[in-house]
Amino acid sequence: MDVLLANFLIGISFGFILFLLGTGLSLTMGLMRIVNLAHGALYMIGGYVGVAVARYCEGLVGRDLSFVVGILAGGTCTGLLGLLMETGFLRRLYKRELDQVLLTIGFVYILTNLAQWIWGPIPQSGITPSFLSGSIRIAGITLPMFRIAIIIFGLVAAAGLWFFQERTKVGAIIRAGMDNKEMTMGLGINLGIVFTGVFALGAFIAGFCGLIGAPLLGINLGVGWDALLLAMIVVIVGGTGSIQGALVGGLVIGLVDAYGKTFFPEFAYFTMYLVLIIILLFRPSGLLGRRIQ
Amino acid sequence: MKKAILPGSNLQPRRDWLFSLGPYVIIAIILLALPPFLSNYHLSILTKVLIFAIFAISLDLILGYTGLLSLGHAAYLGIAGYTAGILMVRYGLDSFWVVMPLGILAAGIAAAIIGYIALRVSGVYFLLVTLAFGQLLSVVAIKWRGMTGGTDGLFGISVPDLGLPGFAWTPSSFYYLVFIAFAVCFFLLSRITNSPFGRALVGIRENEARMQCLGYNTWAHKYIAFIIAGLFAGVAGVLFAPLYKIMVPAHLGLTTSAAVMLMVIIGSAGTLFGPVIGAALVVLLERIVSTYTPERWPLILGGIFVISVLFMRGGLGIYLSRFWRKVRPQYGNVES
Repeated sequence: MDVLLANFLIGISFGFILFLLGTGLSLTMGLMRIVNLAHGALYMIGGYVGVAVARYCEGLVGRDLSFVVGILAGGTCTGLLGLLMETGFLRRLYKRELDQVLLTIGFVYILTNLAQWIWGPIPQSGITPSFLSGSIRIAGITLPMFRIAIIIFGLVAAAGLWFFQERTKVGAIIRAGMDNKEMTMGLGINLGIVFTGVFALGAFIAGFCGLIGAPLLGINLGVGWDALLLAMIVVIVGGTGSIQGALVGGLVIGLVDAYGKTFFPEFAYFTMYLVLIIILLFRPSGLLGRRIQ
Repeated sequence: MKKAILPGSNLQPRRDWLFSLGPYVIIAIILLALPPFLSNYHLSILTKVLIFAIFAISLDLILGYTGLLSLGHAAYLGIAGYTAGILMVRYGLDSFWVVMPLGILAAGIAAAIIGYIALRVSGVYFLLVTLAFGQLLSVVAIKWRGMTGGTDGLFGISVPDLGLPGFAWTPSSFYYLVFIAFAVCFFLLSRITNSPFGRALVGIRENEARMQCLGYNTWAHKYIAFIIAGLFAGVAGVLFAPLYKIMVPAHLGLTTSAAVMLMVIIGSAGTLFGPVIGAALVVLLERIVSTYTPERWPLILGGIFVISVLFMRGGLGIYLSRFWRKVRPQYGNVES
């Protein structure tokens, strides 16, 4: 029982990181039909920048605050990168999927190599502020504090994003744009600005997770592709275009991964692919997917 | 609509036919005559160009002609290479006539399985699913250490024995083998793309709904094209393994798939000669850049991706065929 519960919490905490990774990708795919293969690379840059800024600020504002500053800096940096990518490049390539794919792959290579140039090939270690170190006991099991923090943070982010998409005017415009782009534009809404904003928001969320996810995924040069792959699986399993889809996809994959690692350690890495294949065979549009194009 | 200038695509005046076939003959003669003048090092680069050319035209069948965005094509190259390598290294099989067909067959079977699942979705989802499968296979190659050698790679692969008495492989005889394979693959693929089946694939790329209305089973067309592409990628794979003498998990995964996609796009998707040019360009550029700054090659590669998207829309092949049409305006024109 303890094993089941412990794995449940581990799976949920990983699931929330996956959710955060997946939402940005899901939003841009659902709204703009852009597949941003640089999403994972943005996550990686967020992690590197976050650690660098946090280290720099540590002497100025103390360890705990510097962690927060690092997270914000990582998110801001990738948000700006996303803004640059969208306005400078992707804007010219709407509806040219192949070109978008090639462009974003190009950005992965460029960002990864730049990170290697600046920070070297050695993986960076994440930062654990004092309020997230240590562990607590819940119902007889010991759980690291940062996993609890990730769960709480993920819940808050999910609630915030859900509120944004379902209850605000901008969210309504985004949903309308997903369902019928021409009609939305016909109503006099400047979807171009909305597209830019959503893309930058997705990039911001990716970078924002860089430092938060560091204890689970690490900060290294390979994480750009790894994170992209995880985000993709989440999006395919959950379905694109909705916050709920990414949340369900993330939690399912997180739980499957946690239980898989315990019960089938030999095949731990493959359990999430198994879920992916089953979903594709029986429900190709994902668990909570909006229509597939 | 993009259409290739291929032998036999406009048969009418005989001299015209000569003109469209001419470049192929000249290039073939150059490729056949080159080996004695090249060092082993340069010959291996040329061999690599031809292997990647086979690989690129195999992807072109589904990417350029059918419009399926596959970012997992390296899986079939890798499976064929690994199968051939495992048969030779782990099982001691050394007959060319056993190892090569089995490697190609393995790639075809993998394509049949993956294609069946991946073709349930279309567009960018197809891309994501094929990409996920490529990564899955590279993880299998990492984890299945006993067979694949894990991250160290499967080394010690050589060219399997042809079974001819007194014959031993040299770099130049291997080059000729690769050249023959390339010529055969190119010919077969040009026949396939010019057949009614190939025309139907182009129709699916342009407007799948309309092809369905015309009574075509588009799913089956796409599925068969996917398997054929896997088989040809397998041909590239079984030649790739002996050239590199090692297979590593990265050969199955994303970076190899992205590289071959770039070759197809740079050269012009939807033409057969374009991806060959693309393959030559990327392989040669990598070689040149790597001698100067191996560390910065990914940065430059990324730059090539961006530049090819922004400034070379349609790819180099389009410009070349336009140029070729200008050179010979008096002999009718090729559609484009």
